[in-house]
Amino acid sequence: MNYKYRALIIFLITVSTAVYCQDDKTIFKFNGFADSYHALRVKKPNDFMSSRSRLRGELRVTHEKSFLFASLNATHNSILKDQTKFELREAFYQYTTGSWDVKLGRQIITWGVADAMRITDIISPMDYTEFLARDYDDIRIPVNAFKIKYLKTDYNIELIFIPVSEFFIIPTDPDNPWSVIKTDNIVTDNTVPEKRIKNSEIGGRFSFYLSGIDFSVSALHTWNKMPVFRSSKVPNNDTIFMHATYKRLNMVGLDLSATLGQFVLRGEAAGYFGEILESRIPGNAPISSDNVNVMLGIDWYPGNDLNVSAQLSHKYITDYNNNMKPYRNTSLSTFNITKKLFRSTLSLASFAHIDITNGGLFNRLSADYSLSDQIHLIIGYDHFEGDSGMFGMYKNNSEVWVKGKFSF
Amino acid sequence: MVKKITIATLLIALITISAIKAQSVTARDIMIKVIDRPDGNSRSSELTMKLINKRNRIRERKLKSYAIDIGKDTKKIMFFNYPGDVKGTGFLTWDYDKIGKDDDKWLYLPAMKKTRRISGSSAKKDYFMGSDFTYDDMGSRNVDEDTHTLIKETTVDGYKCWVIESEPKDKRDIYSKKISTIRQDCLIAVSVEYYDKLGKLQRVLKLSDIAKVDGFWIAKRLHMKNVQKKHQTILTIANPKYNIGIQENTFTVSKLEKGSL
Repeated sequence: MNYKYRALIIFLITVSTAVYCQDDKTIFKFNGFADSYHALRVKKPNDFMSSRSRLRGELRVTHEKSFLFASLNATHNSILKDQTKFELREAFYQYTTGSWDVKLGRQIITWGVADAMRITDIISPMDYTEFLARDYDDIRIPVNAFKIKYLKTDYNIELIFIPVSEFFIIPTDPDNPWSVIKTDNIVTDNTVPEKRIKNSEIGGRFSFYLSGIDFSVSALHTWNKMPVFRSSKVPNNDTIFMHATYKRLNMVGLDLSATLGQFVLRGEAAGYFGEILESRIPGNAPISSDNVNVMLGIDWYPGNDLNVSAQLSHKYITDYNNNMKPYRNTSLSTFNITKKLFRSTLSLASFAHIDITNGGLFNRLSADYSLSDQIHLIIGYDHFEGDSGMFGMYKNNSEVWVKGKFSF
Repeated sequence: MVKKITIATLLIALITISAIKAQSVTARDIMIKVIDRPDGNSRSSELTMKLINKRNRIRERKLKSYAIDIGKDTKKIMFFNYPGDVKGTGFLTWDYDKIGKDDDKWLYLPAMKKTRRISGSSAKKDYFMGSDFTYDDMGSRNVDEDTHTLIKETTVDGYKCWVIESEPKDKRDIYSKKISTIRQDCLIAVSVEYYDKLGKLQRVLKLSDIAKVDGFWIAKRLHMKNVQKKHQTILTIANPKYNIGIQENTFTVSKLEKGSL
């Protein structure tokens, strides 16, 4: 049976069971939203970059210390036909006592304090089907995980176990304007690691929440979830084969955020051990490396519903050699400004990602107007700039977009 | 003759100063009584805010609130239930009584699946969720953050009341003074007038539906009107409960992310 139909059936059974079991101690809530998003390329050929509508249902069932959550997307996509589907997003069971919190099932796990930067936040991978031109909640891929937390007032200890890993979704269909492959003569082989217990992930995080400061230390035995490609060619044939490679990766990290008057300072650092990197020599296998990743950020809350944030991240390969394709040092920064007006009915935002290493830019500007409690109308502009790197690759993809959202 | 006048003048001045000082202390004592009015060690309630603009267009906000007192400090957690686009958003505050110590605040945004620590000092002056209540109005305030003066005693709807003027000591505050009319029987203000930096009346708060619940006095309807911008907010409190038996470790980021207790 097709995955989308299985997802729908699981969701309907869950809803039906929840309704059937409803009693005085059981609280049943169903809500969600419908949205429609359309984007038009500003450069020639001024084609539609995206045109999709979606119905999202979210079910919450609370029974004493138990909690059940399920969310389902029913999406119609006019540009990417394979994206027209039913999709079970999250579906988990949670049991909470005074000191323990257990969460079992499909869930999005976020670690760290960085925004849109992955330093310690490397558990739930990213779906780059439309690169970063979707809601953050849609970009993150849920993982099937068992998570247990020991809760105290000032600290908590979290352990996670992921029996079957999820990996990045990288668009390779040349018909997709966000595809990383632009020609028809490239064939990709994206074979992910086998679903075996020896390939599972395990990790832990120890977090403190104190007056004026939060900090965490974390460790994770995982994978490089973003595939690293190795190319090969068949003699007398123009076709290039791109083979995705995945290897084990170990991470130790720490993060903190602290308040200083109107400012919040954020920092994150992680050591990656065994991360594979693309080889500079075509056809050669990826090269294992150890590297240090650091992020520093500052948020300013001057009042009047204005927020300003800036972040700078840096990656340093400690055992660099000349066969590695990436630079030894790479830097990325973000700059975000948000202002709410007219009693929070209008929200203006600009979120810029700046690829310092390659001189690229992606800036998402948006204006979100609340027509009523249920209806939002959002217009925006995505600007890409650069000649190389992840943003330069999309320099012809600058787009204007409009989105309507009805919440129920 | 000159000596007599001087002594008399000094005596009058001393008596006046003493009277003013005594009055000032009395006002502060009243405000301490108001702040320390019994409301249990912990409490919960369901809040509905109706935001009404000058064209009488109404928007609504609904949330569930829990709080616990830890000595003079208060920990509070709020979950937003309506409208749909903010459902699941949570707000955790550790509100410190000590002057000069910034509150700890965390905001959980379900769309980001992430909790953010936010500044505890600046948001106080912002309006809460587009309403006419500031974050400061929604929290507690140390009695010595203002200078209090007892203006007079009066009667409102048959209840004896004190009228007290409170002037912020921090000149960066968004209002220059507020005048509270406080019922003497239950220590609840029935009205508060907020004056802007130019000394003009800006907002008027009317509290009504005052009743005893579980032995504790509460005003279940708070009507704040911004008389300058013709915008108003009606806050109603439903299902208030006291001494609800929750522990301090309920007021944590983990609970905030869960979206309920």
